[in-house]
Amino acid sequence: MKTPIIDAYCALGTDREYDLDADTLLRGMDQAGVDRAVIAPVDRQMAVYNREGNEFLLKTAAAHRDRFIPACSVNPWYGPPAVAELRRAVEAGARLLVLFPLVQGMQANDELMWPVVEAAAALRVPVYIHVGAYHNSTPWQVVDLADRYPQADLIMGHCGATDFWMDVINAAKAAPNICIESSLARPFLFKSYVEAIGFDRGLMGSYSPIDDFVFEWEEMRKLIPPEKDGGVYGKNLLRLLEKRGPL
Amino acid sequence: MIIDCHTHWGQQWEEKSSGNPAPWLAILDRNKVDRAFLMVCEGLFRQDRVVADNDHVARVAKASGGRMIPLGTACPPIGAPAVAEARRCLTTLGMPGLKFHPWVQGFSVADKTFHEICALAGDLKKPIFFHDGTPCYCLSEQIGGLARMFPKTVFVLGHSGILWNWRSALEAVRFPNVWSCLCGPHYRAMELLCQRADSDRLLWGSDFGFGMADPIGYRLGLFMRTRISDTLREKILDHNPRRLTSNP
Repeated sequence: MKTPIIDAYCALGTDREYDLDADTLLRGMDQAGVDRAVIAPVDRQMAVYNREGNEFLLKTAAAHRDRFIPACSVNPWYGPPAVAELRRAVEAGARLLVLFPLVQGMQANDELMWPVVEAAAALRVPVYIHVGAYHNSTPWQVVDLADRYPQADLIMGHCGATDFWMDVINAAKAAPNICIESSLARPFLFKSYVEAIGFDRGLMGSYSPIDDFVFEWEEMRKLIPPEKDGGVYGKNLLRLLEKRGPL
Repeated sequence: MIIDCHTHWGQQWEEKSSGNPAPWLAILDRNKVDRAFLMVCEGLFRQDRVVADNDHVARVAKASGGRMIPLGTACPPIGAPAVAEARRCLTTLGMPGLKFHPWVQGFSVADKTFHEICALAGDLKKPIFFHDGTPCYCLSEQIGGLARMFPKTVFVLGHSGILWNWRSALEAVRFPNVWSCLCGPHYRAMELLCQRADSDRLLWGSDFGFGMADPIGYRLGLFMRTRISDTLREKILDHNPRRLTSNP
């Protein structure tokens, strides 16, 4: 059976710079030859309205079961209710937890993160962390988290772009439970990262609509041909997502 | 015409081509870029190489038939000689502007010597380009602070806040003497900068030349995909950069 081509990160909804609806995303996927996409919440739904965002994604994914894979988010500042909402969302079908330290207001290696990462590991869903903003989301902060929770699957979103690009390879080599995701990192740099740490730890994500879905896939395929992708275009992510069972 | 407003003459290019601009310009040709603002590279990282790197960039630009527009630098922490070197760039070498990277050059934008250079550039009506978007020395709002202090001097945010700080760039360009180069922000940030900033002061750039990789195709392709009018695109790629060096 053919491994699906999966986009590891798209933000569905409308909120400030976000303006992506399901139909637009599906058109982009068809144009780019992408089978499935992880859909994640917009900023406001990560910072404050967690349940609203999670419900929206679950319902949207349910209406396009063969195309969309729902992520969920909880703001660690909510404490035990955040863990409860994570459990609820995962049991309802979410397959990935998104944390965005810049938007949610803590450091990636902050003690606030620990209970939700521990819960995600227990639920066998990977944790995507937006990485690259100063002070609160650096590659080595993600390594701290990976050290503390070696059973968790962590995804280093954006590979620390822009200014932490020099840390990515050493940080990823230091923690085998970290995969790196390509969006915002620019294809010409992302390729050098996976060449250094292993293609089996790379995930292709467009971060549509923040970057252009079709353009990002076209540019990446120019540098990493599909026949030599080493799982970057779907297999590696599927390995993480299906720890909880077949999609 | 397409003018790339953020490129570098990296040390690898100097070593590879010994001052011959042809291989570097071939990358521009491949991407249908006509001209480029060419910034120093080694001189940003090594204080002892500032003067030599300024000379390299001036020499290679002279050999480019006008396609490379050279920008020199100086090292403010050394004091008065830095002001003299900035003056040499802008007068003796005939450069149309300067480039500073306070983060890697290791000085604060509050540096007194640097303030002398800002005043000099204002007197000579030559813009100062910055690496911006990176703490703790070159955040976009820090450049905005300079713009308040030196209203006669034109400052260019070389990265429009780079990736995560584009909202700071939007605040900084409220000042009429701040321009912003779309070199680093993501696709949606470029669109929003085009919508909200004064479009007379927007530029586009690729950061090509630091190493041997070619980021021009990707960065130009991303900009060409933005949902802006063709008129505005032409203004950013051509008209604005010409105005910047003629009468900023």
